[in-house]
Amino acid sequence: MRRYYEEKQGFKIDAEMKLDLEKDPFEEIPPPPVATVFLDQHVGSPGKPLVKEGDRVLTGQKITEGEEALTLPVHSPITGRVTGFVELRHPISGSMKQAVIIEAEGEEGWLLMEKYPDFKSLTVQEIIGRVREAGIVGLGGAAFPAHIKLSRGADVDHLIINAKESDPNLACDVRLVLERPEELINGIEIMAHALEVEQVIFATRTEEGELHQFEKFLKERGIKIAHIRPSYSVGSERLLVRELLGREVPADQFPPDVGVVVHNVATCLATTEAVVEGKPLISRGITFYSRKTGGKNLWVRMGTPVEHILNYMGISSESIDRVVLGSIMMGKGAPDLRTPLVKCFAGVVALTSDEHTPYENPYPCIRCGYCDAICPVDIYPSLLLEALEKGKTETLDILNIDSCIDCNLCSYVCPSSIRVNPKQRAR
Amino acid sequence: MDMLKGGRYSLRPELPPHLALGVSKDKVMLKTCVIMSIPLILGVLAIGWEALWQFLISAGTVLILHTIIQFWESQTGRRVSYPTTLSPLVLAMIVGLSMPASSPYTVTVGVAGLAMVVFKYLQGRLFTRKFVNPAAAAKAVLLTVLTLMIFLEDPLRLGMLYHPHHLRLDLLSSTGFTEAIAFYETNTLTAVQSLFFWKTHGWIGGASGLGTLVAGIIACFWIRLKWRIPLAFLGAMAVLSAGMGFFTGGDPISRIALHVFTGSTIFLAFFMASEPQSTPMPEKSQYLFGIALGALTFVLQLAGVLGGSIIALVILNLFTPWFDKIGHKRAIGMKGGN
Repeated sequence: MRRYYEEKQGFKIDAEMKLDLEKDPFEEIPPPPVATVFLDQHVGSPGKPLVKEGDRVLTGQKITEGEEALTLPVHSPITGRVTGFVELRHPISGSMKQAVIIEAEGEEGWLLMEKYPDFKSLTVQEIIGRVREAGIVGLGGAAFPAHIKLSRGADVDHLIINAKESDPNLACDVRLVLERPEELINGIEIMAHALEVEQVIFATRTEEGELHQFEKFLKERGIKIAHIRPSYSVGSERLLVRELLGREVPADQFPPDVGVVVHNVATCLATTEAVVEGKPLISRGITFYSRKTGGKNLWVRMGTPVEHILNYMGISSESIDRVVLGSIMMGKGAPDLRTPLVKCFAGVVALTSDEHTPYENPYPCIRCGYCDAICPVDIYPSLLLEALEKGKTETLDILNIDSCIDCNLCSYVCPSSIRVNPKQRAR
Repeated sequence: MDMLKGGRYSLRPELPPHLALGVSKDKVMLKTCVIMSIPLILGVLAIGWEALWQFLISAGTVLILHTIIQFWESQTGRRVSYPTTLSPLVLAMIVGLSMPASSPYTVTVGVAGLAMVVFKYLQGRLFTRKFVNPAAAAKAVLLTVLTLMIFLEDPLRLGMLYHPHHLRLDLLSSTGFTEAIAFYETNTLTAVQSLFFWKTHGWIGGASGLGTLVAGIIACFWIRLKWRIPLAFLGAMAVLSAGMGFFTGGDPISRIALHVFTGSTIFLAFFMASEPQSTPMPEKSQYLFGIALGALTFVLQLAGVLGGSIIALVILNLFTPWFDKIGHKRAIGMKGGN
């Protein structure tokens, strides 16, 4: 595996954090004694609570439900008792959102959904219904309800399974492929069946032969495997579609609008678990990193507080200054050690106060053009920054701010240590 | 529920990203200083200790002023504009290397001081960015003012921009050009060889045209300077001078040697015209900027203003906000560029 990923103009991204982590098997963290489960864990409105204080819940039991198309249920990640509802700062939106507190109690018991080992006998609508019922979101970070993407079959001719895992701190997707190839193949087949597509492409950053067993399975089923050059930006689904199929997704549309559905590889596994094994989405694989412990692939229940993960890793929470949830390039810092894992987070990075943020003392822009050179969607972050600082919001559209994919490469290369992030600033 | 109360849980919720390339402004400045040492060393070797003195006078002036400004900023609670000496040092090198060795020391001190105080510090403070290249603007303004001081004994010579010897040259004719280029001949080198390799007068930074070219190319790769500008600028100058050579019946190579490899062109191309803050951002605009700069410089050179490149640069710098609005690439997912 490589120490660096190469971006446009030869800029390098340090991939040391995930170096050799593909060889590190998942370790399952014991469920937390207290789980904090946000009701809102996906794009769309959250469901209404089905439980109240004092209720006993089983692992996998639905605790929210809603009727709206984009509403997904949330399930209890542990067996225990609901001790109350609290308002906590949400790690994605940053605003105060409601969460259910569940304290572990007694032996673990599961409440599973119906199992369908012979998924091919299911209709498309039944598959979509199972995926929705299991509360599956895009596990690559977008948190978009997966069943919606499976419903866009009519004009879709390609399904891309994204195992590109381009973020510098994540290795859990490749690990998943190595550890659970058969379940992943099932997931891909379920998705292809639901979408009724002819062509499936499995996109990976690995080189030929590295995923030996899985590659064999893909070949047997006629699924194309695309080994993509290691680069961070190509992990974006818009750029992946362009790289693999040469189709450009208009800035105001989504991949299905150009006939392509992109699903993360971890979403495939969740789909298999939901449809074949009847398991709702209550846990996932993540990659943990801290300088003290190095990297580690962990299997964690949703609702597990960051502090529980740190304790498991033998890190004193007092020594931690910042915790990044998700990608180190795109993920926000957790507001609190109690912040729980939500469905879309594939990584946790714990940083001590000795590890200064590189963006602490920004200087005025020197217009070096590094941000413009590296921008993977060919916009001009330097000019956007200038317009935003001058309050010239009317020029943002002219400068194509809608094309920005929030990759933050513009900030990454900035010699003046500016968090350029034009789209984020504009919000 | 008690575990949800208390302050010991709080973290710093920072926005992404949390990783950086680690190329700081200071590192870029340090690399620039290292690269500019090449023309400086070659200048001293070709011209002599006078060249080193010019640089030291410029550096001394800039660094003294930098220390005063820094002290004043910290005493008055203002944010320190330049926390390290590297950025001022780059300015000092540019000023020093853009002066001829024969420049009176007082003029060098004046250009360096004006560049540091007015065009670097004040321009940065008042406008949040620099619209004109500090060294070029300081030199253009001060030398023009000196030229206009007709009460001085020899204002044209002192101003150097509109040097009387240069103004008498006739670069529009073949014979005039032959006379002009003969000025560069030495005991051992022809005029063309001298212009390419080893000049003993003119801008210190361009003493070795080839050496400065190599330093510039290193800068393009090492500090990723806006290479399209020097490429288009030198390209335009080369095409125009070759064309003029053909048109007037002279030797095109000699024409290219004089117009492109004169110190004020070759040094300015890489170390002043590509200065990031005062030049356009869109790639196509950078080409256009370079071509326009080349055309204007060429016209000024034909008019006998051999160091006219700095005037051309200051004029073009003022059009940078306009250049920023044109020549945009087509963004991915969008229909057309600007």
